Amino acid sequence: MHGEYKTPGGKLVIADFEVEAGHLRQVMISGDFFLYPDSALASISGALEGLDASLSEAEYADRIRAGMQAGAQLVGTSPEGIAIAIRRGLVDPA
Amino acid sequence: MSERRRPTDDGRQPSLPELTGLPREEIDRRWKGQEWHLLPPTPLSPMMHTALDETLTLRVGRGERLPTLRFWQWSGPCVVLGRFQSVRNEVNEEVLRAHNFDLVRRISGGGAMFIQPEGAITYSIYAPEEMAEGMSFPESYAFFDAWVIDALRELGVEARYEPLNDITSANGKIGGAAQARRGGAILHHATMAYQMDGPLMSKILRVGKEKLSDKGVQSADKRVGPLRQQTDLDRDVIIHHLIGHFRARFGLVDDVLSRVELEEARAAVETRFGTREWVYFLP
Repeated sequence: MHGEYKTPGGKLVIADFEVEAGHLRQVMISGDFFLYPDSALASISGALEGLDASLSEAEYADRIRAGMQAGAQLVGTSPEGIAIAIRRGLVDPA
Repeated sequence: MSERRRPTDDGRQPSLPELTGLPREEIDRRWKGQEWHLLPPTPLSPMMHTALDETLTLRVGRGERLPTLRFWQWSGPCVVLGRFQSVRNEVNEEVLRAHNFDLVRRISGGGAMFIQPEGAITYSIYAPEEMAEGMSFPESYAFFDAWVIDALRELGVEARYEPLNDITSANGKIGGAAQARRGGAILHHATMAYQMDGPLMSKILRVGKEKLSDKGVQSADKRVGPLRQQTDLDRDVIIHHLIGHFRARFGLVDDVLSRVELEEARAAVETRFGTREWVYFLP
């Protein structure tokens, strides 16, 4: 699955993943955003890994936010933006 | 988090104090309060340039090097990926290799840079972290980009800053900046298009419709407004002017890369920047 979302005036976030038995697998989040520290990216994709593919955008965003370490900052996108990309990947896998 | 500053209703561009949340005197104090060193353009491979950015940032953080402005000289064409971009999503690798472009990844986030040596002007600023104190990340981008916009405008180039990290004009995007923070120091670097082979860029870089939709344009190469569209000045002349502007405003001590710095960067290419792990995998 592949979903993209560009925050207006911000950056592009891309979600690439598989859906196996109704769960997100092999989630890869990428894009031209900024993130501090680098390692927070693994926390974000880790938070999404294995999640039910039927969650709402808000639920994905909450899980992402909860998975990010204290003090980590996304610049140019947001947990909501990443959730939109996931949602788009689920809805329109092409 | 600060609000994004847009041009006011009368079209006025926000001032730097408005963009950074700092008074003018404080902005000046922070820049002039450092002893800036200059590393003039030195030809190095794309991989050495990206490795050197990390090496020099860490050295400034440890106090082993004073704050520095470094201009790059590209030894060959390449695509430089941002830290969080995936190769597959961003480049047509077969086309890239067919044109003998290198593929490297830098330590800062942001977008892919399409580089042809005589077509790009790239510089890095290595600054102590306290220069960004009290500013959000977006504010710090405006803070570190302001001088080059002023310098371009002195040349008659209609350049302006656009959040988050664009140097732009009515013709399109001139360039963009990216930032990384390591070991108590900030790397803020930017690349500007002097001239651009738009069709080749469109073949090598993959730019999906989503990225274009917000900017309201039809194709990737129309988004770029290289400096050559606005000035007849040679690339070297522009670089010389940028350095002169910085020197006049904040001071510059002429400097060179040390043997130790080059060795550290070479070692970093061996162990990280030149590895498949670094180029092809995300953190």
